[in-house]
Amino acid sequence: MTVGEQEREQHHREVLDGPFSTRQLIRLDEALRVADNSTGLSFSVYVGDLDEPVRAHAEKLHGELADADKAVLIAVSPNQRVLEIVTGAEARKRIGDRDAKLAALSMVAAFGGGDLAGGIISGLDQLSTHAGRA
Amino acid sequence: MSVTNTLVYFVGIPTLIVVVIAGLIMLVSRGPSNAGGDKRYRPGRPFDFTPVWFLSTPEQVTQPEKTGRKTLPGGVPAPAVRAGGETDSARTRAGVTGGASDRW
Repeated sequence: MTVGEQEREQHHREVLDGPFSTRQLIRLDEALRVADNSTGLSFSVYVGDLDEPVRAHAEKLHGELADADKAVLIAVSPNQRVLEIVTGAEARKRIGDRDAKLAALSMVAAFGGGDLAGGIISGLDQLSTHAGRA
Repeated sequence: MSVTNTLVYFVGIPTLIVVVIAGLIMLVSRGPSNAGGDKRYRPGRPFDFTPVWFLSTPEQVTQPEKTGRKTLPGGVPAPAVRAGGETDSARTRAGVTGGASDRW
């Protein structure tokens, strides 16, 4: 096994150690790809703890994305029970704050029922619908 | 039919069947929790997992780790993400971000 293969193996184990099953990961990947391709924006999903202040941390993560203006970050912290949706300057013109709030409400409803993956996927779907086609 | 035969046919065999089925059910229900634990998220209970960041193309992060990680959806381990954030604080202030927040 080469070093690259070992790294990849290790990475796979880390992802599978995450909050989602393999089947959910596949659905999430598909949802992200469809959202990106149909809107031309770049969606990303972060699931993990956020430092206080939560909003600032989410915005910092958003700033790390390559094309931050066109990026939409969905940050979910299951342990803190917090959801943050961050839209870049360009993305904000297509997904208004009100639309983002609407998506957040439906996602939070799913999270409250314990369905992390389902909430994220339906949120991605709503956000990309609001953004419209590229 | 002798008493012994009657007992074997009408008590022994049914008991054996019941024990085998119960054993199988116990094995199946205990199996997944032994291997890796029950990972389902339940609100209000501590949920232990590795943080993940999904992108449709992992190269979108400004400091991508080594490429060749397309087999699974670009989950980037969070420690790497945090380390990258400290070096480019200038980027984070660029433009006005919008969005929404919520709790559950």
